[in-house]
Amino acid sequence: MAAPAYPAWVTRWVSGQWRNKKRPPALRPPRALALADKVANRREQATEATCITEMSVMMACWKQNDFNDAPCAEEIRMFYDCVAKAEKERKNQNEDTMSSRGNLPSSKVNKLLKRFPQITRYV
Amino acid sequence: RALGYSPASLVPCRIMPVRWNRYNPSYLEPEVKKESYQKPLEELTEEEREHMELKAVRPIKAAPPSLSSSVFSDPMISKFTNMMMKSGNKVLARSLMSQTLEAIKRKQLEKYHKAPENEKETIECNPYVIFHQALKNCQPIIGLSNITKGGKTYQVPVPLTDNRKRFLAMKWLITECRENKHRRTLMPDKLSQELLLAFKNEGPVIKKKHVLHKMAEANRAYAHFRWW
Repeated sequence: MAAPAYPAWVTRWVSGQWRNKKRPPALRPPRALALADKVANRREQATEATCITEMSVMMACWKQNDFNDAPCAEEIRMFYDCVAKAEKERKNQNEDTMSSRGNLPSSKVNKLLKRFPQITRYV
Repeated sequence: RALGYSPASLVPCRIMPVRWNRYNPSYLEPEVKKESYQKPLEELTEEEREHMELKAVRPIKAAPPSLSSSVFSDPMISKFTNMMMKSGNKVLARSLMSQTLEAIKRKQLEKYHKAPENEKETIECNPYVIFHQALKNCQPIIGLSNITKGGKTYQVPVPLTDNRKRFLAMKWLITECRENKHRRTLMPDKLSQELLLAFKNEGPVIKKKHVLHKMAEANRAYAHFRWW
């Protein structure tokens, strides 16, 4: 005779698991199972220093020419150009939302989330 | 008008702020140069036309007394005079500045008349040109700033803004002239001497600039501590 197909609870009852208080865990979540309206404050990674190559080229030129500015005029001009460009980039970057690494900083994320909060109840 | 404390009930008008008067952002800057008003309408570019239309509608800030439309006024010279000024004595500072420029002119004319014919063109007699070139030669190209990392402060080479460079050049010149002179020499003589030396890329101020550059060069390994 084939094994009779009893439902699962019958087998469990018969085995006596429930008498030994081996019950499935009753979930008691301490917080609501919903996304919060803010993100943890993450320390934004420092951006790298700009214009280091131009600076080192200029310093090498200085070392050769005993720190005179006249022979190194070209390198100095390139350094100034790089600095101006980096400054402009920094100014433009503050208006845009994305940082150079592609992640929004946590303050901006919190502002956005505050504008569109999680709906906890329907009215 | 008597200055004193008067109760608010007796004073009908408001007290106007004297310092740090903050204008509404809609106020525009005053245009002082005469050349910009003598241009005919057709020569103006699009932006300038828009700016003129805006000026007809918006209010304009009051021009400060240091701003002048004369051909003899130079913003660098005014800034230098202000830095030389002590306890608000602008009259003294301005007279010192004019005496300095006169001394430069005298010294250069002396050299000019003594020089042989072929060298006469190389001698620069315009004191304003000498002043500007000397200041430009004194400006440092790279500065040092204190950055604390891991509990220790490092001197990190850092690019400077134009304003900061000008300020440092002027400050070095003035401190040099105030401190390292004989008791009896007057400021115009010492300043003219320093300006002429700086014009030729010699002198203690240029040396100070070179010292700063050397320190920046020595600390170039710490350049990565910058985050801007």
